[in-house]
Amino acid sequence: MRASNTALCTKIGFGLLVLFVALPVMSAERQQRQEQQAPREGGAEPRGGGPGPMHAPPAQQRPAMVERVNHGSLRHADTHVVPRPVVITPPHGGGAPHNVIVHRDVDVDVHRPRFWNDFAFGRRWRALPVGCISVIVNGAPYYYDDGVYYQPAGDEYQEVYPPVGADVPELPDGAVEIDAGNLAYYYAGGAFYVEQGGGYVIAPAPIGVTVPDLPPGAVEVSVNGQVAYQFNGIYYRPVFVDGVTQYVTFVP
Amino acid sequence: MNRTKRIIDLTGTLPRPALVAVVLAGVVALSALAEDAKPAISPRADELMKRMSDYLAQAQFFSVTAEVWQDVDLASGQRVQAGRVIDLQVRRPNRFHAEVHSTRRNRALFYDGKSITLLNRVKNFYGTIPAPGTLDEALDVASEQFGITMPLEDLIVSDPYQNAMQKVTSGIDLGPVTVLGVPCEHLAFSRGMIDWQVWIEDGARPVPRKIVITYKDEEGSPQYTAILSKWDFDTKLPDFLFNFEPPAGAAKIAVEEIKSQSQAHKREGK
Repeated sequence: MRASNTALCTKIGFGLLVLFVALPVMSAERQQRQEQQAPREGGAEPRGGGPGPMHAPPAQQRPAMVERVNHGSLRHADTHVVPRPVVITPPHGGGAPHNVIVHRDVDVDVHRPRFWNDFAFGRRWRALPVGCISVIVNGAPYYYDDGVYYQPAGDEYQEVYPPVGADVPELPDGAVEIDAGNLAYYYAGGAFYVEQGGGYVIAPAPIGVTVPDLPPGAVEVSVNGQVAYQFNGIYYRPVFVDGVTQYVTFVP
Repeated sequence: MNRTKRIIDLTGTLPRPALVAVVLAGVVALSALAEDAKPAISPRADELMKRMSDYLAQAQFFSVTAEVWQDVDLASGQRVQAGRVIDLQVRRPNRFHAEVHSTRRNRALFYDGKSITLLNRVKNFYGTIPAPGTLDEALDVASEQFGITMPLEDLIVSDPYQNAMQKVTSGIDLGPVTVLGVPCEHLAFSRGMIDWQVWIEDGARPVPRKIVITYKDEEGSPQYTAILSKWDFDTKLPDFLFNFEPPAGAAKIAVEEIKSQSQAHKREGK
């Protein structure tokens, strides 16, 4: 009996000793592994699954990975990174704008109507929408409401093309950020806005930039036998970008 | 020499059980580390994945329909789901046709062994890119040069097992579940910042019935879900299904290559 207890104590002691020696080693290794697996700044996964010469540069040197959820692919989950337009929603009540990546893949079908989607050049109204603000452009009076511009027409008001030089305090709902080299434009309702003096001013349309949608009411035309669209003197050529139909501004 | 002797002396001072314990602890720790280095995939999950993948890889042709749902964030910050239906036809080694429908959108992709054609059926635009002679190569060219990821491409590749499992770090079998009334086995895998699940049909036809991919490195961990039905391995798929003929009035437009910035981040290790 005494011998049995001694053996049991030896076994317990042996087991504890093994644990005391082995656990710190395993713990240190596990901690190191967790640190390697932890998402780096920016949240992107290190391509290739770990450190080594074949792996991606640190995440902070990479643009954000977007659009993968559209494709549902494991094979190309890490393949390429495409900067995407960003939807800008005006701040409400002085809050910060909530910017999100817009999913422009042709597969994604979520109907998101904007006020300016319904723009129709020359359409007349007896009264202006509630909330319209007055805007003077080159001495001419305009009225503005969420991406749509009006001018007096007799005792009525008619919808007109967005005038270059118009200065408005907020971007239209759903404006999309367009990267044009070093200058950021915000595109909505066929107008290209740039930030200026705390507000947003309509700039001349940049040529050669890609926009995700045509302006509302753009007219189909043929340019050198190729299909194109025209809106307010600007031409748009359809093109597949990442498999999605988008439009590039051009001069015929 | 002296240093060696000192070590021997030091070890010689240790009680024998302690020495044995230290050695054993080292062995235990090393074996634990070795186990950690291997993906922790349950044998059952691995076996079922192999079985499903072999079944798909050995099929010379098949058709399937997928209802796909994906998370989308509105500008307001609200999360919603967008859906679509994909009708897919595959003939190995180099034919592919997909029709992608939703309420307001409708597009098709054709691969005839030489080129891939995209067709926007709503706008009646199409564009063509040259593509190499196998499905795997064509999928890679489309994605890496043109940013076009083919619908359900993980089912199309020549080796679905290797394709899906190459970066997996863990995998478990969560047991039997039914998907739309079909008895399946539910498997869950992780490859770091991407988790994915597959529900594989029980019985003689081990096809995937549902796939979910969770992108944990994106804000809010959005998910992609595909529910698969109408698997058909019997109906032959003739050439004309894969050869693109422009619809009346269709306009050909350019297909842009992805920008050099993106090309610098091509997929590695393949």
